[in-house]
Amino acid sequence: MVSVADLLTDGRLPGNYFAQDLYVRGSTELGLLENRRGDRLLAIPDALLQAIYSGLEKETGQASRLVLYNCGRWWGKNFYARFCEELADYYKQPLASLSMAEFLQSLQQCWKTHGWGQIHLDITYRDRGFLGVEIWHSPFTAAAPQGQKPSGDLERGILEIFFTQLTGRELRCAQTSCTAKGDDCNRFILGLEKRLAPVEGMVANGQAHQAIMQTLMQQG
Amino acid sequence: MTFKLDALFDSPDKQYLDANDLSTLSQYVSSIPERMAVYRTLRDQEIAIVQPIADALQQQAGHPEPLVERSVRNGLMVLRYAAMAMLLDDEGFVEERLQGWLPEMVKAYETRAVDQQLFQLLHKQLGKVFSPAQLGLLKPSLEKAQSLMLNTRETVTLAGLL
Repeated sequence: MVSVADLLTDGRLPGNYFAQDLYVRGSTELGLLENRRGDRLLAIPDALLQAIYSGLEKETGQASRLVLYNCGRWWGKNFYARFCEELADYYKQPLASLSMAEFLQSLQQCWKTHGWGQIHLDITYRDRGFLGVEIWHSPFTAAAPQGQKPSGDLERGILEIFFTQLTGRELRCAQTSCTAKGDDCNRFILGLEKRLAPVEGMVANGQAHQAIMQTLMQQG
Repeated sequence: MTFKLDALFDSPDKQYLDANDLSTLSQYVSSIPERMAVYRTLRDQEIAIVQPIADALQQQAGHPEPLVERSVRNGLMVLRYAAMAMLLDDEGFVEERLQGWLPEMVKAYETRAVDQQLFQLLHKQLGKVFSPAQLGLLKPSLEKAQSLMLNTRETVTLAGLL
């Protein structure tokens, strides 16, 4: 039998930890924004993001994508650790015993509350060993230079590390659509390096997300 | 806090509050004792209100225990947020805190059918505990939560991952 009293251990009923009005706070006297744990938050102006892109492009040219990707990986490593720590503290249980639904929903809310857009997981290709991620309204690719190639390298890096740490397998991430080249959102595919290898060529040839996925599926 | 009266308190840079504004304020203030009474009852009788619902879902409707447990969790959460929203006279509170969370949990654990029955039972239970006037205070936020839970616009399906 379901006992309501047992469901309410210590009277708590954990919910949406990243609800915006709860999560973002500030110590305005010190001129600081903070999250609900008192960790520092920072609002990055659009113009600064644009400046980073164009500064990198000017100084490093071709390498700027690689620099951003590595920054993304660095960011992802720290983000994953902090994210897990915050959730474990909030739910008062080790992360391993948190359900996947709560974990992933928290990730979506976290993404949204930080102003990084809307992140959605696409598990259509899960049986074939791929995980799709869509990011809508990304502020990062919105500030990136428009062009023919995907430019969500920061996000590619963060996703790669995040899901590598989550799954415990060395995953790679490729971007198959990008708002900076006129697509409706940023789409990423995560999978093992060997299986993901053909994607880069197809992206370079300007193939669309759907076509790339079709080819990947036909490879078996 | 984002409750309705925020708009009033936001505007000292414009002008002093007029008679209408002050009467809105005094209506809210005079409703506070009743709101607190309802809140206290919900707080103190949380388990007494919800346990019979859990029993009915499991015994009469015959839903499996894990599903009932999830659904009851949803119900408890809705009640708590509705209680707070009622205290603040702000059904927007329910929306802000539960949107993007509760509907996704409903979808992930596939409790929608059970949740629908839970809401019916909940309305019955609350009818036993509260007067119609008191129910009137709770109703807007409860209805908000109910429609939120049945609205699954966001396009993520987590169910397949579990």
